[in-house]
Amino acid sequence: MNKKRDRLQIVHDILKAVQDKNGRIKPTHILYKSNLSHQMLDEYLGELLSKGFLIENSTKTGKTYSITQKGFEYLQKYRTIVDFIESFGLSEPEERRI
Amino acid sequence: MPGWFLGYDIVLHLLFALVTLIVSIFAFRIYRLSAQRQPKFFATAFLFISMAYLVNAIMHFFIISKLNENVCSAFKLASVAVLELIGAYFYIVLFSIGLVTLTYMTLRVRSVKVYCLLLITVLISFLFTAEPLQLYHLLSSLLLVYIIIHYLINFLSKKKINALLMLAAFAILLLGNFHFIFSITGGEEYYVIAHFFDLIAYLLILLNLILVQRHEQKTRSTSNRA
Repeated sequence: MNKKRDRLQIVHDILKAVQDKNGRIKPTHILYKSNLSHQMLDEYLGELLSKGFLIENSTKTGKTYSITQKGFEYLQKYRTIVDFIESFGLSEPEERRI
Repeated sequence: MPGWFLGYDIVLHLLFALVTLIVSIFAFRIYRLSAQRQPKFFATAFLFISMAYLVNAIMHFFIISKLNENVCSAFKLASVAVLELIGAYFYIVLFSIGLVTLTYMTLRVRSVKVYCLLLITVLISFLFTAEPLQLYHLLSSLLLVYIIIHYLINFLSKKKINALLMLAAFAILLLGNFHFIFSITGGEEYYVIAHFFDLIAYLLILLNLILVQRHEQKTRSTSNRA
């Protein structure tokens, strides 16, 4: 049985999905790649936008998202972030906002 | 405090200040990268604890300098007493803010009101006691119990050596705190033993940080080779 993903993992999955699509991706693709409900994805995207991990671009065909430098740094240092947070008992429950 | 220990305690407090500052800087770095709330609170808490130890070390250094001056007067003794009092209050306030922040972090609630309530209740109580140091050690023991419960739950769910290190560190800090209480009411030797416990606790926290760093370096070298 799969272990429930924590917030750090979900953020990683969203950012990785954006990065893999050359930095530009539609919300439906993120939904498919990140395996989240629509409501949960909206919450995560809102937070990632407000915290500067993603940028929203409006095009004729709809909204797309691209990753920022901060988002790239998160992906690069993901292992260190997880190690530190787990080692020092700083993980947040999944249902809480980041 | 035994007379012979004056000086050694300054060195130890400087060491504690350095260790907690390093942990705080690393936690701030993690906060900057992840934008998570928990590392921010952890970093802030350790920064206050670091400042508390630094202020204490500086005050004790001034006290030693005053006592070593070749003038023996009532003024000198009074100024030493004032310095000691100011140093003690600064230490109590800074350390209490650190522990309250750490306790608030372990509660995992998201409310500024709860944080303010905790902080104001703890800080205001020092104004209405004749024995602020005793009250401080009692309150900090209570806060440490909450922190230990958090790390116990964390260890039971993770079953990892790092989680055990943090649990052990805070349990030893609590043990040290009890010895500080004994040193006020009983023998001076308890003050030295309390510092010994604190030293072990901060070394365990530092060891935990070193393990995280080593893992980071190992991951980096593996990915570079790949």
